[in-house]
Amino acid sequence: MDEFQEILQDFLVESFELVEQLDQDLIELESTPEDLELLNGIFRVAHTVKGASSFLNFDVLTNLTHHMEDVLNKARHGELIITPNIMDVILESIDLMKALLNKIRDTSTDSGIDVAACVVRLDKVASGDNDVAKDESGSTPVEETVEVEEAPVEEEELDYDNMSDEDVEAEIARLLNERQEEDKAKRAAKIAAGESVPQAPPSPDEVSSEAPKEEPTPAAPPPPPPPPAPPAVKKEEPKPNDAKAAAPVKKATTVEQTIRVDVKRLDHLMNLIGELVLAKNRLIKINDDVEERYEGEEFLEELNQVVSIVSLVTTDLQIAVMKTRMLPIGKVFNKFPRMIRDLTRELNKKIELEISGEDTELDKSIVEEIGDPLVHIIRNSCDHGIEIPEVRLAAGKSEGGTIALKAFNEGNQIVIQIDDDGKGLDAEMLKDKAIEKGLISEKEADNMSDKEAFLLIMRPGFSTAAAVTNVSGRGVGMDVVKTNIEKVNGIIDVESEIGRGTSMKLKIPLTLAIIQALLVGVQEETYAIPLASVLETVRISTDEIYTVEGKSVMRLREDVLSLVHIADIFEVERIMNGGEYAYVVVLGLGTQKLGLIVDTLVGQEEIVIKSLGDYLKGIEGVAGATIRGDGGVTLIVDVVAIMDMAKNVKASATQNSTSNTEQLTLEKTKASDYTVMIVDDSKTDRNIMSNALKSLGITLIEAGDGQEALSLLKQGDHHFDAMLIDIEMPRMDGYTLATEIKKYSRYKNLPLIAVTSRTGKSDRMRGVESGMVEYITKPYSADYLSSVVQRNINFKSEFLS
Amino acid sequence: MSDKLKDIINKQSDQQNHDLTNLDDVVQLVGFIIGDEEYAIPILAIQEIIKPFAWTRVPQVPTYVKGVFNMRGSVIPLIDLRLKFGLNEQKHNDETRFIVMKVGDEIAGFVIDRLTMALRIKKQNIGPAPDTIDKEDSLIDGVGKEKDRIITILKADKLLKRDF
Repeated sequence: MDEFQEILQDFLVESFELVEQLDQDLIELESTPEDLELLNGIFRVAHTVKGASSFLNFDVLTNLTHHMEDVLNKARHGELIITPNIMDVILESIDLMKALLNKIRDTSTDSGIDVAACVVRLDKVASGDNDVAKDESGSTPVEETVEVEEAPVEEEELDYDNMSDEDVEAEIARLLNERQEEDKAKRAAKIAAGESVPQAPPSPDEVSSEAPKEEPTPAAPPPPPPPPAPPAVKKEEPKPNDAKAAAPVKKATTVEQTIRVDVKRLDHLMNLIGELVLAKNRLIKINDDVEERYEGEEFLEELNQVVSIVSLVTTDLQIAVMKTRMLPIGKVFNKFPRMIRDLTRELNKKIELEISGEDTELDKSIVEEIGDPLVHIIRNSCDHGIEIPEVRLAAGKSEGGTIALKAFNEGNQIVIQIDDDGKGLDAEMLKDKAIEKGLISEKEADNMSDKEAFLLIMRPGFSTAAAVTNVSGRGVGMDVVKTNIEKVNGIIDVESEIGRGTSMKLKIPLTLAIIQALLVGVQEETYAIPLASVLETVRISTDEIYTVEGKSVMRLREDVLSLVHIADIFEVERIMNGGEYAYVVVLGLGTQKLGLIVDTLVGQEEIVIKSLGDYLKGIEGVAGATIRGDGGVTLIVDVVAIMDMAKNVKASATQNSTSNTEQLTLEKTKASDYTVMIVDDSKTDRNIMSNALKSLGITLIEAGDGQEALSLLKQGDHHFDAMLIDIEMPRMDGYTLATEIKKYSRYKNLPLIAVTSRTGKSDRMRGVESGMVEYITKPYSADYLSSVVQRNINFKSEFLS
Repeated sequence: MSDKLKDIINKQSDQQNHDLTNLDDVVQLVGFIIGDEEYAIPILAIQEIIKPFAWTRVPQVPTYVKGVFNMRGSVIPLIDLRLKFGLNEQKHNDETRFIVMKVGDEIAGFVIDRLTMALRIKKQNIGPAPDTIDKEDSLIDGVGKEKDRIITILKADKLLKRDF
């Protein structure tokens, strides 16, 4: 059973691939009906599917493909010229074939789909009856001609590969003769029987000599499928050069070394690589630390080498795995020729599709996402863009319209461009329609540039079509385009000129999994902004921020840019003061622009995108998360959402809220309500200080160095009224500590008292610069220290015992 | 002789059945403390228990969602059960742990005050949740009775369900 399932899986995968190629080939065939190479290719597909399906006992599919094969076989022998009508029948049968394959995939059987009507039409075509109206049912089965065709195939199992050239020539000549004789016999039979009556079986001797096991039963339903014909079929060609041309093609397919891999495995691999990259980043960090500590040691060089090799290999590995996920965009483009063909017939227009750049590669997940948007855009171009032939001629254009589909690389992005030479978009008309549908107000419409007006077509519910047709007009399609493209962080750009055509550009990042990001800091948090949406960054002074109708704006060259502070969007608590300068990240999306104010610009980094999971999905403004080199998680900004959110943010972008000090002025009711921190690396010094202050009865907290002091402060367990700070300390000295503390607006008024043996004037100056209010030099008397502290914490004298 | 054999075989199968039913009757749980009360979670819902480490705040979520943290390359939400249960926030100390629970594809870390022990409680010793609580929406699966204490058994799947 499992084995069967495995075979079935292989069969399905192969068949779907073949059928995909088939669509493409058939459209091409229509324009060059005499291209034998193509015909052979198409015939081979039908044949392969037939062979495999008969082996797997899919009778309906076998029956259908068998009859397709008949028609195609005739065509490649030149007995049938492919006309659009015949092509319709063939395409219909391919659609049925797809339906059957889908059915097999879902249910493992091919029953339940009726192919009889199609088979009949195929037969009619095969019999040379060109007039195949779709609704016509019930026609004369003409199996005999088929059998005659089929028979020599069965018989000629000669080993051509081992033949000399002369032998091949001779064989071909013999076959040609045979064919001519057959044809003669057939023609004779046809004349004898007339076109419409069931044909008489071919002359008995011919049948018995050539196909003894397939004795045809006249006027019977389709005969049992013959076993898959040997590969020699291809060499049945009357022309020797064709036989030769077919051979290398076959070889190429066997030489091509590919392996099918479940996408899940690739995803897993990608995840593992992500973890490896993280580990590598940490290794590099540790290496730096070790280097600092053991400078000059011999083993360092060795360690350095190993680390650099590991990091190099990891990067290569990452790229290699990413490449395995890349697919040529041609996979998506392939279905469009067929679509255009169907649409032109449906809409009675003449449209040509030009495809280029189908080799451009994209991540698999993106390839899957862009299929639908492209279908909608192309349908739209066909239906609304390209005019009907009469109108085109009247406008002085060529009768047939052209849609050009291009894909190319542009930096870190793939651009897919869809151009049509149709009537173009009318900005005024679009605005009127949008007002009529209540999508925009008249005031908005007046302020709209043409480019913004073009983007109206992406709004849900917007449609310019007078009537809903089969093809479009529901006002859904372009909305889908926008949503899907934004889902993959893409940008849509529309350009149009009335009467000349429309050009739509989809700019899509190469891969979804790993992107370039700009890391920005706000207070103590870091966020990543996809670099694709960042137009520029500017540093402005806070005076340059103006407020208009409660919103912050700034002047950026000629434009007025609306601003929003990232802290307002992400509800960041403002504990540190901003400087007099602000950094503005200018975000661009389509034609929209927004300035995002941040505290610091951290840098540019390649980040791996991770989802936040089901529990936290759909948080507005957050597109996902990434893991940084230090193992921490950084959130990724969703630029699309931010643009929307910015409209509702009222808070002024400047930082003028200063209500954080009230906590520090709590009512003191007893001496121990006062808390003072002593920061000194020497235990003795700390003891001296605490002994000096003990008599006051205040609470004392000790810290061994600047970092410890800072983290004690940040924890917020105590409200400190003053700090005694030694200057010379390991890890973080007193000046740095003071500077750090003063960054927090909450501690702006916290008295910092330097206690040090440094007495130089410049030391004192530095102390003042970093925010110290007092400077006590060692040695000092206990009373002096106590009085300085009392003064600075406003110690109430009644607590003195 | 054959009767004896039969007896033995019967006894053996009895024994086996007994063991099986015994297994069925016992629920294995991991107990932990939040505030003053002891809670428990089925051991199978727990992926791992880790010591606290740094996390990243996430905006626009209830306060009990502390943020997200990185567990070997996966980004996992962190939920403070103290806050979720309406208690005051408490500073993390040496006994604080993150319990990472996983049911199906849902995964999250939960901050608890401290662990107690792995428990085996007989099914018959587990009572239903108090009637005053709506059964469907409740986080409480039942109440387990041990010798000298009462343990509230929580539903892991409900804890992992987003409710905002």
